Amino acid sequence: MFMSEVKIPVIGTLLALSIAVSSAMAGDKIQKNVDGALIYPIKNNSYQGYAVNPQKTNGFNHGRAPTTAEIKAWDIDVMPDGTGLPEGKGSVEQGDELYTAQCAMCHGDFGMGGKGYPTLSGGEGTLKNQLVNPEAGDEPPSRTIGSYWPYASTLYWYVQSAMPFPNPKSLTNDETYALVAYMLSINEIQIDGEDLDDDYVLDRAKFLKIKMPNEDGFYPEVNGDVGSKEMSKYLNNADNFGQGTRCMKDCGDTPIVKIAYELNDFHPTPSTAKGLPKEKEGEEISEAQKIYEATCSACHANAAIGAPVVGDKEAWDTLLKEKGIEEIYKNGIDGINAMPPKGGNMDLSDEKTKIVIDYMIQAK
Amino acid sequence: MNTTIKNRVGDQTTSFSTDSRRGFLRGMFVSVAAASVLAPIKLKADDAAILEEAEWGVKLGYPTNKHPYGIPSPYEHNNVRRVTELLSSGDMYASVAMSPLHEQEGIITPNGLFFNRSHGGTAVVDPDKYRLMIHGLVEKPLVLTLAQLKRYPSESRIHFIECPANGSTGWRGPQFNNLQFMKGMMSSAEWTGVKLSVVLADLGLKPKAKWMLAEGSDNSEMGRTIPIEKVLDDAMLVWGQNGEALRPDQGYPVRLLVPGWEGNLNVKWLKRLEFGEEPWHAKEETSKYTMLQPSGKGIRFFWPMEVNSIITSPCPEKPWTDLKKGDMVEIQGLAWSGQGTIKAVDLSLDGGKNWQEISLKGLILPKSWTRFSYMMKWEGKPLLLSSRAIDDAGNVQPTINQEVAKVGVESVYHRNSICTWEVKANGEVNNVHVRG
Repeated sequence: MFMSEVKIPVIGTLLALSIAVSSAMAGDKIQKNVDGALIYPIKNNSYQGYAVNPQKTNGFNHGRAPTTAEIKAWDIDVMPDGTGLPEGKGSVEQGDELYTAQCAMCHGDFGMGGKGYPTLSGGEGTLKNQLVNPEAGDEPPSRTIGSYWPYASTLYWYVQSAMPFPNPKSLTNDETYALVAYMLSINEIQIDGEDLDDDYVLDRAKFLKIKMPNEDGFYPEVNGDVGSKEMSKYLNNADNFGQGTRCMKDCGDTPIVKIAYELNDFHPTPSTAKGLPKEKEGEEISEAQKIYEATCSACHANAAIGAPVVGDKEAWDTLLKEKGIEEIYKNGIDGINAMPPKGGNMDLSDEKTKIVIDYMIQAK
Repeated sequence: MNTTIKNRVGDQTTSFSTDSRRGFLRGMFVSVAAASVLAPIKLKADDAAILEEAEWGVKLGYPTNKHPYGIPSPYEHNNVRRVTELLSSGDMYASVAMSPLHEQEGIITPNGLFFNRSHGGTAVVDPDKYRLMIHGLVEKPLVLTLAQLKRYPSESRIHFIECPANGSTGWRGPQFNNLQFMKGMMSSAEWTGVKLSVVLADLGLKPKAKWMLAEGSDNSEMGRTIPIEKVLDDAMLVWGQNGEALRPDQGYPVRLLVPGWEGNLNVKWLKRLEFGEEPWHAKEETSKYTMLQPSGKGIRFFWPMEVNSIITSPCPEKPWTDLKKGDMVEIQGLAWSGQGTIKAVDLSLDGGKNWQEISLKGLILPKSWTRFSYMMKWEGKPLLLSSRAIDDAGNVQPTINQEVAKVGVESVYHRNSICTWEVKANGEVNNVHVRG
């Protein structure tokens, strides 16, 4: 049987040297090769992969129970029903100040975005938009906190655990409440029928009354007793999201669309060449540059963020005139606004920080 | 002798533009054919790479202790991950580095080339300070060190991980003319770790536990909700990637592996698993990783990566411009499904009018990349090459029209429709869409 499957003459020759032995595994006749090793038959081109140890796998006693304090330290998630939401309070006005100092450099004034980072406000009434033809004036949908997010709990949790982006977990509960209040206000969301004016103070009790405008904008339902049942129904039927058909002949027209606007901003530049690049002289990377790239470039390489950009002589010269080098050093070491002390790299000594600042000021 | 070698090397470095190399290869084919007729006359086209001693053959190589951790050949310097600002939200921290699929062989991605999507940069976790907490609706909450976690019985499985945004720039039309940026938000590895069901067997899930929150310890505290059915089926806590520790980009020292599901559910730098009665609605379950439909409603969760395929050879980066008419050439590529095992792959040479089933090759494993292959004679005539994958769960990869009719063009995620390469008469390959 195996011989008949062999199509390549050179293997046929090899097999002539081999001896038939009977296999204990399946009772099939299998062959041994010149070196005494088995030659395995191929069946239906299939290859059965994984073997599994069938022994019982319970009865382990590794690790220990977490302490109450440990769970409290790590379990800071906030669920839509308010589970995990801490006490605290903050006003829209306080939030505005924090936002201006720590968030606007990325998310834009009033959450309008525009700097590559997510837009936080606006977008009401755009969710049915489909951008098919830009020339016809089609606009894409805008998925913001106000237009799209189903639950405010996510906002609190997100800000508290992961924002501001370069300095997360730095906000107090009160500050988080203030920022959440501000972000709800710029999205014109009311709580219990009340507008969130500047002096509005958000606290836990009021937070629990928030209903986001798009709470019902999602399916399948997953909350409560439904569990994963509706999700399972949805995902088990590919007709919901695009099932193909296995047509084999004359399957219809195939109009071709070519690339209209080719995107080609790629780094490094694509190439499949093997030749070695010519060595460039004098390109040794200094320690200061390495530290800059690892610690500071998130903000200082991006003009959008508002921090002085490395290589922008004018910006640094202005700063030097305004503040003087000692204050720039001090701000770098102690932090300023959204910038954490030493850019968040607490392993840096003050002296190293100064060297890196010198590098950033002088870099071309 | 040394002078000759230097000259040869000099020639090599200056003749490395792709075109001149192809010209050189063509010249060689012609001379080989001529040689068989006219032998044994020595021809001018004799290959210096054979006639002259190779530089590396006449001196010692580098010693065995030069690279305690091995590195690729310096000549492979272009086989790297690449980024584009378009797919980065403002910086290179919440960003994605695309895997060079056009250079990959088989179904395993080398660890240094594995695509990297992170939401707050790559965390570098100290393994001695690593802790995993499992709590919530379990009888016996648990804290494990890395060493304790590794005491559980391990399994090794080959699975792809794919970001659900893979291919998302194609919703409205073709935009990238390379494989790396069209489909490079995926990679595959042999992962080693313990099945979560094994760990949970000793902790005792409470009957009300329906959902699990998996949370990372990185800057973004990336977290996702996962239903208990998947947790108990094949989810794993993994620490090994292709025979070594996970790379930092892949969540060193421990990540969650949710075979076949959206990349971001495979939470990296895993810190905490909490079991609960309700889904968490975490931050990556709001404006991101939901699928907005033309109705204006969003699909709340979309877990598995659907059946999919792509031809990797030829592709825009690996064209057929070096082929002569009549050359035999292999068309090959990757098929995969997060909902099963690849059962078949169909190939069309005319953009989807007519199809034929072609061969799979190599390992065919569940929720894993599977290679397909078709040999054909290149006649120098334009082709439209499309592949269509079918999995054993009964899913057939849709056409662009079939998919867009269901989900519109603003879903962002989960675009799995059929891809087509235009092969021109000169062997150039371009990304085109069959749609309309």
